[in-house]
Amino acid sequence: MSETQAKTPAPVMGLFDREMWNTIRDRQWRLQACRRCGTYHYPPGPGCSVCLSTDLEWKTLSGAGKIISWIVYERQYLPAYPAPYNVIAVQLAEGPVVMSNLEGTAPEGTWIGREVSLVYATMPDGVVLPRFRLADTSSASTNPAGGAAR
Amino acid sequence: MSDLHTPASAGLRRAGAVVGVGNSDWVGDWARTRNGEQPSDACGYGLVAFGCALADAGIAKDEIDGLIVGPTTAYERAAEVLGIDPRWGDQADAVQSVIKACSAIQSGLCSVVALVYGNDQRSVGTQYGGPAAMGGDAFLSYVYHAPWGLTSQGALYALTFQAYKEARGMTEAELGEVAVAQRQWSSLNPNAVMRKRITIEEYLAARYICQPLRLYDYCMINDGGVALIIAEAGRARRIRKDPVYIEAVGRSDLNRGATSLAPRLTNYYLPAQQAAASQVFNMAGLGPKDIDIFNVYDSFSVHIPLALEGYGYCGIGEAGKFLREQKMGPGGALPINTGGGHLSESYMQGWNHQIESVRQLRGECGERQVPNCRHVHYSSDVAGKAVSIIYSR
Repeated sequence: MSETQAKTPAPVMGLFDREMWNTIRDRQWRLQACRRCGTYHYPPGPGCSVCLSTDLEWKTLSGAGKIISWIVYERQYLPAYPAPYNVIAVQLAEGPVVMSNLEGTAPEGTWIGREVSLVYATMPDGVVLPRFRLADTSSASTNPAGGAAR
Repeated sequence: MSDLHTPASAGLRRAGAVVGVGNSDWVGDWARTRNGEQPSDACGYGLVAFGCALADAGIAKDEIDGLIVGPTTAYERAAEVLGIDPRWGDQADAVQSVIKACSAIQSGLCSVVALVYGNDQRSVGTQYGGPAAMGGDAFLSYVYHAPWGLTSQGALYALTFQAYKEARGMTEAELGEVAVAQRQWSSLNPNAVMRKRITIEEYLAARYICQPLRLYDYCMINDGGVALIIAEAGRARRIRKDPVYIEAVGRSDLNRGATSLAPRLTNYYLPAQQAAASQVFNMAGLGPKDIDIFNVYDSFSVHIPLALEGYGYCGIGEAGKFLREQKMGPGGALPINTGGGHLSESYMQGWNHQIESVRQLRGECGERQVPNCRHVHYSSDVAGKAVSIIYSR
């Protein structure tokens, strides 16, 4: 299967995921925040796991975050993702940890602790994915993994 | 935490003992599956192992009045294949099966429990990553991040190790000590599928699967079965002169943030392991210094350094140095995964570690026997559920 034909792996679509993916498609990624205690939640769900309130509101993310881990696949598992490509774990400014990909230039040395900002990528099959770029590209080199920047 | 946990389950101390263990022919079936054959199905591997365990215990099948089957076979069909109509039954993973068996015995629900696991994951092509990855129904994190290309449990441990090695200052070569040592053990184990020793140079020269983890950091995928028979302690002593007691158990979970992987990436399961350690060591009246063998669930090599620190076998940040200097292989300061574990013996999802623990305590392990083995600690931390058992003579 060629890369352009490969379908982006389908998201898990639970009852509360659809609304989030609609906001991603509109390039306004929102997560649920608890109206009572303010906690943001990922993945989306039926209530607040801190205070058990079911009064949640969808709030647009600032797009700021920090890399807390990263990996580079050297083996292909998914048709849409030929190796090599990277996956990053990002702690959002709002609190939740999300998985994504780093686009563009990659840090020299460790990626951990680097500030990143949200961008929206359009996959070959039209699916919009939230991804990240380095917020400050000084002391950076061309992304050796390359995959996400494809 | 231990003070809250210990009294509730202290009654399980030496409530049950293992009187029989068995396994299918992992080595022979590996060769056959590599040749494209399907030697049996999941229940069939369990049947073979169960027959061996009964023979090992020297009891008849009709003495079994409790049955626990592993997660990879349906309870009813497995029981039908084994021909058992027990008065109590359940389904669980390896470590929970042992705890549940002891709980059922202690509460009088049954007195001789068969624990039977079979898995045909190699011959049926079970996928642990990719478009048909298993496990999403039980662990949402296994499938939730696929749109970004994050798939396979190995990748989750690669993310864990990347964060951990930087926080702790551990190197990839130090992690390599795990795969090298487990091959040293498996080279002494005729039941092990992969017995060729490797050097640290060969480890480092092997390809990355998901950087920072290499080929030898991953377990194999093979067909097979394992069975144990656990009896009420008094009955166990009448069955055989050398029963192996379940001395103590412990458990602590980290579920909050599990799908986002936060417990893996920010504290490497440490609080759960420390709480489980406190419970299991308090119940046993033992500490890490009393343990002769540490057997650790090792779908990936990364489990070992996390467990060394989490269960107090070394200080926080010292696992790399421990692996490099103290050693976990034959003759090392702390023998770990003496059968070769999932990396080198057989990927029986924790079940092979149970029977290896029993055989070491009985002194049946030939070239790999750890001398004067009295206490074996088993630990698993699958998806942040830290569970421990101490087996004793």
